[in-house]
Amino acid sequence: MKFIPDKDILLFKSCLVNVEYPGVESSTSYIFDRIDVEYYVDERQSCCTGLGHYYDLFDQISTTALAARNFHLAAETGHKNIAVMCATCYAILKKSAKILNQNEEARNKVNQILDDSNLEKREYTLDDMDPTLNIFHVAEIFYNKRDEISSLVKVDLSSLRVATHHACHYCKVHYNDTIEGVRDPNLIDKLAEAVGVETIGWYDHKTVTCGAGFRQRFTNKEASLAVTAEKLQALKDNKVDLLLHMCPNCQMQFDRYQPYIEEKLDTEFNIFHLNISQFIALALGADPYKILGIQTHTVPIEPLLKRLNYSLETNEKIDVEAKKSPN
Amino acid sequence: MKTIKLKKESVQLVKEVLKDIKASPDLGIYKCVQCGMCTSVCPGAKETDYDPRDMIRRVLEDDETVVDDDNIWNCFSCYTCNSVCPCGNNASEINQILRQMSIDKGEGMKKIVSFAAYGDSFMELGVGSIPSNFFDVMVKDIGPGYMDLKINIEDIRTDLGLGSYILPEKAIDEVESILDNSGFKDRLEKIKRCK
Amino acid sequence: MNPDSSKDISNKDLKIGVFLCRCGGNISDTVDMEKLRSSVDAEVVEEFENLCSINGRKIIRDSIIQKNLDRVVVAACSPITHEKTFQKYINPLNPYLLEMANLREQCSWVNPDVETATEKAISLVNASIEKVKYAQPLDPILRKTTKSAAVIGGGISGISASLSLARQGIKTCLIEEQPTIGGAMVKVGKLFSPEKLAEECAMCLLNPLVNEAVEHKNIKIMTNTTLKAAERRSGNFHLLIESKPRKVIEEKCISCGKCAEVCPVEVKDSWNEDMTFRKAIYKPFAQAVPDVYTIDLENCKNCGKCQEVCRMNAIDLDMEGEVIPMTVGSVVIATGHKTFDMDKRPEYSYGRHDDIVTQMELARIMGVNGPTKGKLLKPSNNKIPERVVMVQCVGSRDEKPGGRKYCSKVCCMVAIKHANVIKQHYPDTDVIICYTDMRTPGMYEKYFKYAQSNGVRLIRGRPGEVAEKDGIFTVRLEDTLSKEPLEIEADLVVLSTAMEPSDGTINVSGLLDVGLTEELFVKEKHSKIKPVATEVDGVYVCGTAQGPKDITDSIVQANAAAAKISELINGGVELEPFVASIDQSKCTLCKKCIDICKYKAAYIQDGILTVDPISCTGCGACIWECENNAIEIMGQTDEQIIATIDGMLKDKKPDEKRIIAFLDSVGYVSADNIGINKITVPSSVRIIKIPSMNRIMPKHILHAFKMGADGIIMGEYPYNPMYSHTKEKIAGLKGELVKNNINPDRLAFYKVYIPYFRGLANKFKEFDGEIKCLDTP
Repeated sequence: MKFIPDKDILLFKSCLVNVEYPGVESSTSYIFDRIDVEYYVDERQSCCTGLGHYYDLFDQISTTALAARNFHLAAETGHKNIAVMCATCYAILKKSAKILNQNEEARNKVNQILDDSNLEKREYTLDDMDPTLNIFHVAEIFYNKRDEISSLVKVDLSSLRVATHHACHYCKVHYNDTIEGVRDPNLIDKLAEAVGVETIGWYDHKTVTCGAGFRQRFTNKEASLAVTAEKLQALKDNKVDLLLHMCPNCQMQFDRYQPYIEEKLDTEFNIFHLNISQFIALALGADPYKILGIQTHTVPIEPLLKRLNYSLETNEKIDVEAKKSPN
Repeated sequence: MKTIKLKKESVQLVKEVLKDIKASPDLGIYKCVQCGMCTSVCPGAKETDYDPRDMIRRVLEDDETVVDDDNIWNCFSCYTCNSVCPCGNNASEINQILRQMSIDKGEGMKKIVSFAAYGDSFMELGVGSIPSNFFDVMVKDIGPGYMDLKINIEDIRTDLGLGSYILPEKAIDEVESILDNSGFKDRLEKIKRCK
Repeated sequence: MNPDSSKDISNKDLKIGVFLCRCGGNISDTVDMEKLRSSVDAEVVEEFENLCSINGRKIIRDSIIQKNLDRVVVAACSPITHEKTFQKYINPLNPYLLEMANLREQCSWVNPDVETATEKAISLVNASIEKVKYAQPLDPILRKTTKSAAVIGGGISGISASLSLARQGIKTCLIEEQPTIGGAMVKVGKLFSPEKLAEECAMCLLNPLVNEAVEHKNIKIMTNTTLKAAERRSGNFHLLIESKPRKVIEEKCISCGKCAEVCPVEVKDSWNEDMTFRKAIYKPFAQAVPDVYTIDLENCKNCGKCQEVCRMNAIDLDMEGEVIPMTVGSVVIATGHKTFDMDKRPEYSYGRHDDIVTQMELARIMGVNGPTKGKLLKPSNNKIPERVVMVQCVGSRDEKPGGRKYCSKVCCMVAIKHANVIKQHYPDTDVIICYTDMRTPGMYEKYFKYAQSNGVRLIRGRPGEVAEKDGIFTVRLEDTLSKEPLEIEADLVVLSTAMEPSDGTINVSGLLDVGLTEELFVKEKHSKIKPVATEVDGVYVCGTAQGPKDITDSIVQANAAAAKISELINGGVELEPFVASIDQSKCTLCKKCIDICKYKAAYIQDGILTVDPISCTGCGACIWECENNAIEIMGQTDEQIIATIDGMLKDKKPDEKRIIAFLDSVGYVSADNIGINKITVPSSVRIIKIPSMNRIMPKHILHAFKMGADGIIMGEYPYNPMYSHTKEKIAGLKGELVKNNINPDRLAFYKVYIPYFRGLANKFKEFDGEIKCLDTP
């Protein structure tokens, strides 16, 4: 398996984490701080262009030029290992690094753009960024330190019936770099296992997209939500309480639109949605509001916490000993 | 009746596709055996008339009308086709190339003009966001809580110990300058004129 | 290697006879024979119209006897045409004391100009004279191998090979890892005949062969054994065979089965593809050979219950394994295949549901000696399926990680066979085969048509997934002919899984030093003309160890492998003696030569570095590695190469250009073809035949330039096992030139192929032009 670093990491900001689920970032930091990962957040880092790229609004050269700038920022501060919280950042950055390394014409063009922008210092040199060995999803960083995570678990979440949704742009774009399975992805299942939760593993539609489909959510809403609904139904058939995510766009599709789909189909799914970072942070005892940021969720997380005998008023978890009889 | 003529004058679509900057060096389009595995796992094929296998066939058969086919806009970019294609082809990537060809021709611009606001916000803040024109319908679909979130996001971020997500001015200038020199600014203006 | 009678005579004193052939004008019309004769410095110079005729033989022989000649040069046609003839003509001299100058194909036919042709002829004859001075009397190498063989793997391939060998009088040891022989064929139940459009019982076909193998005096069957180590010693193999303790004394066991009745341990039965259970003491199936019980060491709890009931006292729980040494002349790898690991394609839900099975599992279900006694019943509920959907190419023709790029070759036929059997016995059961291409070549097409007429349905599309809900499976695919995504409901799904090399194939090949393909099947020496030979002489391969194939092809290969071994044993091999020779006083046993040799010709025996002349091609790659100059190639010694170069460059005029072309045997034939087709070649080109580019070292190149060569071109056939280092070698040689202030552009390399002689001729012209340019101020 590829080498996964635990230092010199640029924690790459994501546009959707920023404004939809900022708790993913605070949860990630919370975990990183506890498992001794050395990382840095750079306020100058621009967005990867992901949404715009897959809206087909951005052209590949512009996306690649911005990636080259971000790669340079990473190297400049000595944090050349990039860890992303969003699967689309993951795919976009890897694709850009591959183009910069493999396509000389494109590389020269990007460097010309940087020169023209008086950013000669940010020029890209061949192999500055290794798409396989320098670009990671934070879930991979966690995976590498899952034993340490296990040793820090404070909250027993094992009573939950948990399934996972592995982001397409993590698993299926650069599949040679994917760890713990492409066709039956298990990366976040393993992370759940690390905090003491046995997931349901495989289910029908496990590898199917969330349905967002970038433009599809807006221009083809019915098709988009039909895909989401089918997956939700499969999860319901499996009596799942909680779906774990690793991409804010997937999380949006499920969390924001689940009530809407329930209303349209006149059904109830009753499935909670958490990002893997939020889930691990929860297991490690993080505060649901101050760290997990559950206040930005559309499907309220409070009932889930209640089931876990979490005392929300005091923000104190009931320790494992005290909650022998659930509900 | 279709005839495969001895002399072919027009440019070959597949060669154009393979020349595109997005095309991976190991893109296996020529190896396609039309097995349909891509279509069998495609959410777009399930919900719409999009058929990635047929799209590949049309590219290989030099059917340039595929570029103008509305169905290419039904791909979810989920890359599931890519992850299973036994021939090493990547229908998703080829779809994106065809869409760019359509945009370059002008027709495709109509398809993406509604997303132009993303470009504006990117140029302004250095960060992308869901285009503002979709905001109303999202609030309607998701509920008023979504509006509250948008209003309170800075406070929530502060509560979570996170700083501002908007880039410092100097960084925004760098981003804007890059997007100006990359031609994105012009491209965006052109797209917006499509309205 | 041979006693050297002539070493005490100095080269200068050697009496050399040169015989010039006019070749009925083919040579003499272009070469000025008079001038050639007068330019040659030798004891005897004779000229004749047709040297290859019987009269020519007399002239040569008389001169040798009368003038007491020590060496002979024949300047005539290409050695490819007549070297063997002239080697006989110089009797009583040793045949290797002859050199030929190629005045026809490489001189008169490619140089129409008399003056330059004559110049070239002189240098070619001079080169041969210089070289022959260093010729040593050698003997062709004769090798016979021991009249015995080991066949590794007791499936249909191994059994067939053993029988063929045994029938030819060759003592054969059949080594099988499992407690019984029979391999995959005993499990498949039915075989089909494309001719008769009928299915036959596999066991009934196999049993007579197994019985003959058991009875045959020349076959020793060793079950429960594996190859542990192998060493190769000039044609023979020393093997170490490890046998697992059966814990049942074969001679005593009467196979009554009482032991299994009392055994408390239940284990999944691999004979039925894990669909049923057996005991820890077991006999794989009723007709198993040898007909004895075996204790499964992994699962036996040593409770001793079996011992209590065995009336024959056949059970010995203290029995230990043993390691048996043996020496055989040849080895056959018949280690077979295994089936694709379905964990790599989880989307088909195999392992999650009992009614998603592989074709082999379906074969067991439909086998009369299988879990349902031949009835087609679903494993989950013992009901007859309403619809069977077969998914083709599972793991085959798949470039994705974990997949197999090749077509597994038999799956289309296996699916059709099972579909036909189902349709015959269960006409109400719907059978659909989802395929990408139906591959039923030759007569199999008739059986395919038969399936269609039986009502087997075919849908063209490769399924992306198989899902389950409430006991019903959904096979998702696109019907690519009607262009629509399709979901097929089924209650039995059968996966046609890829054939993969077995672990045994990989292990045994490693022990025998045999090369593997990219896909880890055993690599044949040549896929067209040496289909059962491996890279190691004396080791042959047959059956699915070599690649996916059906029973017919496996048997054909098994018989071919046996025939090849028989050739080796009965005919022996006569080899040219141009192989590596080791100066033991200089060899330090550093083993670098062993590491570099892809032919695996070098090995250490009793503390001495030994070269197996059967394997050695004399390529010379080992010489580069040897820091102690302990290796020489017979017939291509440094002295001989240097002398040839000197001869080629002798009497070069100041304004003349000479290019030395070192060509391997393929390149040399290609150059002859240039002559046969009368294509003009620059007069500067002088061809020297070498065994391989590996033989030419910096010192040879530098010597040639020192002696006046203007350019050197090297030609090598790229598909030889030692080719991989060629690029680095050329770069290294060029580097040497730079160090010696010689323009590296004076050294060129060209890939040669026999039919592409025009390319070689063009390369000569091009290079000649480049050399002229370099020297134009």
